[in-house]
Amino acid sequence: MIQLADVSYAYPDSGRFVLEHVDLRIEPGTITGVVGASGAGKTTLAKILSGFIPHVDGGQLSGSVVIGGRDLSGLPLAACVSQVGLVIQNPFNQISGARYTVRGELAFGMENLGTPRDEMANRVAEVAGLLRITDLLDRSPYELSGGQQQLVAIASMLVLRTPVLVMDEPTSQLDPAGTRMVFGVLSRLRGTGTTIVVFEHKPELLHAHADRLHVLAGRRIAASGSPGEILSDPRTDQWGVSATRYTRAARLAREQGLVPAEAPLPVSFEQAAAFFGWSARTRPPSPEDAR
Amino acid sequence: MTQAQFVGTGSPVHRLNPVTKLVALLSILVIVFALPQWWVSAIVVVGVLLPAAVIARCGGPLIAVGGRILLPIVVVLVLVQGLTFPGGRTMVWQWGVLSVTSEGLLFALNVGARIVCLVLASVLLVLTTHPGDLMSALTEAGMSPKFSYIISSTLQLIPAFRSRADAILLAQQARGLAVPRNPLRRIGVMMPLLGPLVLGMFTDVEERGTAMEARGFGSTARRTALEAIPDSTAQRVARWVMPLVAVAAVVVPLVWEVL
Amino acid sequence: MSDQAPLDTRRSRTRLLVAAGAVIVVATYAYLVVAQPAGMADSGTTRAGLIAMAGYVIGAVLIAAGSIHQLPTTTIAMIPVAIAVNIVVGQLVAVLGLPVYLDSIGTVLVSVLAGPAAGVVTGILANVIWGLTLNPIPLPFAVVQVVIAVLAGTAARIGVFRRVYLPPVAGLVTGVAAAVVSAPISAFVFGGATGGGTGAIVGAFQAMGQSLLASTTLQGLLSDPLDKLITFTVVGILLAALPSRFLQRFPFAREHRVVTTAPLAPPPSPSE
Repeated sequence: MIQLADVSYAYPDSGRFVLEHVDLRIEPGTITGVVGASGAGKTTLAKILSGFIPHVDGGQLSGSVVIGGRDLSGLPLAACVSQVGLVIQNPFNQISGARYTVRGELAFGMENLGTPRDEMANRVAEVAGLLRITDLLDRSPYELSGGQQQLVAIASMLVLRTPVLVMDEPTSQLDPAGTRMVFGVLSRLRGTGTTIVVFEHKPELLHAHADRLHVLAGRRIAASGSPGEILSDPRTDQWGVSATRYTRAARLAREQGLVPAEAPLPVSFEQAAAFFGWSARTRPPSPEDAR
Repeated sequence: MTQAQFVGTGSPVHRLNPVTKLVALLSILVIVFALPQWWVSAIVVVGVLLPAAVIARCGGPLIAVGGRILLPIVVVLVLVQGLTFPGGRTMVWQWGVLSVTSEGLLFALNVGARIVCLVLASVLLVLTTHPGDLMSALTEAGMSPKFSYIISSTLQLIPAFRSRADAILLAQQARGLAVPRNPLRRIGVMMPLLGPLVLGMFTDVEERGTAMEARGFGSTARRTALEAIPDSTAQRVARWVMPLVAVAAVVVPLVWEVL
Repeated sequence: MSDQAPLDTRRSRTRLLVAAGAVIVVATYAYLVVAQPAGMADSGTTRAGLIAMAGYVIGAVLIAAGSIHQLPTTTIAMIPVAIAVNIVVGQLVAVLGLPVYLDSIGTVLVSVLAGPAAGVVTGILANVIWGLTLNPIPLPFAVVQVVIAVLAGTAARIGVFRRVYLPPVAGLVTGVAAAVVSAPISAFVFGGATGGGTGAIVGAFQAMGQSLLASTTLQGLLSDPLDKLITFTVVGILLAALPSRFLQRFPFAREHRVVTTAPLAPPPSPSE
C-alpha cells in the first residue's frame, strides 16, 4: 500500500541529507508508528509521505514514493492531497478560520472539492459520531481546548475519506488530557479501513494502538517490528527512543539481579504485572517488613 | 473591542439575504450623494434606517456605535466649516476674531447629513448580518472564495493575535521595558514588540498554508456549500429595483439641469 | 498541471481586470483634480464626492478581483496574518499615543515578500475588515492601500530594501502619493472631517485661504509621509532580521533579490 524505496532527501537551503536510503513498507488498513529522536527526520518523512515534499518545500528528493500503486512524484499536489491526509502538531494552525462552527469547519474541505450537500451532511454526522465530538458541532473551533481542536483537525481529514492518514506528532503540543483524547480516537479509527501512520515521541501510547513500529535513526529506518519487540529492544537509548516506564523499571530490576536475565522485558502495564509477579494473591511489602 | 459587531436578534431584517442588504446600502449611498439636499439624507435616515433598526431590535446598538463614530466628526465638521468655509459671507455669529457663516453651516449640514446616513447604514448592515453569512452569500453571487477565506480567517484570528501581542508586551515590560515620554523614542520602543510578533507569524503561516492545502483549498473544482442562504423572489426583484432607483437619482437631476 | 488553456484565459482576465481598475482610478483622480468644483456650490461638491467614491471603489474592486486569481495558497495563508498585524499594531500604536498610524506594516511586508498583487489584496481586505469591525469611515480609502502596495512592491523589486538608507526614502515617496490620492475623498466625501485632529488641521488651511481639496492635500502631506517613512523603515529592519530560510520560500523575494544582492539558495526543483 505504501512503499518507499531508496528515498533520500536534502532541504534546499542546507544541502545536508536528512534522510538517506530509506526503505519502508506499510500494509493497507494498519496503524503504523514511526518513532525516533527529535530532529531524526520524522517531520520530513511525514511531509514526503503526504506529498508536501517536494511540492511545497522543494529540495532534492530521490527514490520512489508509491502510495496505492501511484508514484507521488508524478502527481500534482492536489492529487497527493486526495490520497494522503495530514494532521500536524499545532492544533490552532489547523483551524482554517474560514468557518465559524465546528460543523462548518468539517465541511470546509469537502466544499472546496465540490462534494454534494447531502453527502457532506452525512459525512459530518458520521465522523463526528465516530470521534465523539457531536456535541461540539455548533461551537466555534476557537473556543475549544487544544485536544478538542486536534480532534476537529483529525475529523476534518477523515471526512475527506483519504485512503491514508499521516499524523505528525499530533500530541506533542497537547496537555495530558488532550493527549488521551487523541490516542483514544486511534483505536476507533481501526475500523474505517484508513491506513494510518503516526509519527510519535510517546511510545507508551503507541504500544497499545499500533500494529507495527519503525525506528527512524541515523537517517534511515534502523529497525522494524511489533511494538513489543521494538520498545523492549536494548538499542532504544541508542536510537534516542525513550522506553516505557515499565521497561525501564524492568531493566533496572534485571541489572540488580532481582529478576532472571532471560525474561523478555515488559512494555505495557499488563506485561509488567506478569513480569514482576504482581497479582491479587501476592501482598505488597508492608511497613513492618521494611524494618 | 468587540469583533464583528454582529448582534443576533433573529429579526426579519437579520433573515434577509445579505446581498440584498448590501445592494440596499450601496443604493442608499448613491442616492444620498446624487441628491445633494440635506433633507434627502434625513428622509433616508428617518424613513428607512431607523425603522429598520427598530424592526431589527438594534436601535440601541446602532445609536451607540454610530454615535461613537459620528460625534467627533460632526462636531469638527460644524466647527471647521462653520468658521473657515471659503465662500462664507453671511455672518451668523461673531466672537472677536472668529465668525460663523451661514454658508459654512449649510455646507456642514449637507455634508454632515450624508456622513450620518453613510455611517448609520453601514453600521446597521454590520449589526444585522453575520460575517459568515455575508461571505457565503457573496461567494454564491460570484465572489472568489479566496476573499471569503481571508476575511473570515482574519476576523477570527485577530483576538488570538491581540492576546499574543499583549503577552509579548507584558513579557517586555517584565524585562523592564518602560514607555519613554519622547514620542520618537516611543517608536523605537515598538521594535522589541514587533519583532517577536512578526517573526512568530512566519512559522504559523507555513503551517496554516500546509493545512489549507491539505483541505483542498487550491482545488479548481466548483465549490459547494453546506448551508443554503435564505432568499426570496421579492428580494431578487428588490435587488434590481433599488439600483434602478439609485441610477434614476443620478440621471434625473442631470436631465433636469439640461432642460 | 494539465489545464493550460484555462490558465492562460485566467491570466489575461486578471490583467484585464487590474488594468480596467487602474484606468478607472487614474481617470477618477484626474477628473477630480482637473475639473475641481471651483465655487462651493453643493451640487458640484456632492457630484465630485459621488464620482470620487464610485470611481475609487469600483477601481479598487476590479483591481482586487484581478489580483486575487494568481495568488497561490501559500501566499493566501499569509494574508490574514498580515492583516492582523496591520490592525493589532495600528491599535497598539493608538494606545501608546504615538503621533502616527502605522497601520500598513502588514501590507508593505506582504508586498515586499510576495509581490504587489498580494499586497493589494492585503491592503484592500484590511480596509474592508476595519470597516466590518471598527469603523466604516476608512472604507472609501481602500484605493490608497493599492497605491501603497504597488509602490512597496516596486520598491522591493528595484532593490530598495537591500540598502539600509533607501527604505525611508521609498516610504517618504509612498506617503506623498498616499496623501495626494486620498485628498479628494477626504474633501468631497467627508468635507475634510475624517476625524477630530485631521478636521482641525484642514480647517486651519482653509482659514488661510486654501480650497477644500488643497487643504486636505496639505493635511495629508503633513502626516502620511512621516507615517510611511517609519513603516518602510520598520519593515526594512524586520526583513534584515528574518532568517533566510523564510525568505527562500517566497518566489518573489527570491527572484528579485529583495533583501540581499547575493542569490539565495537554489530554487526548489519544480515537481508538477
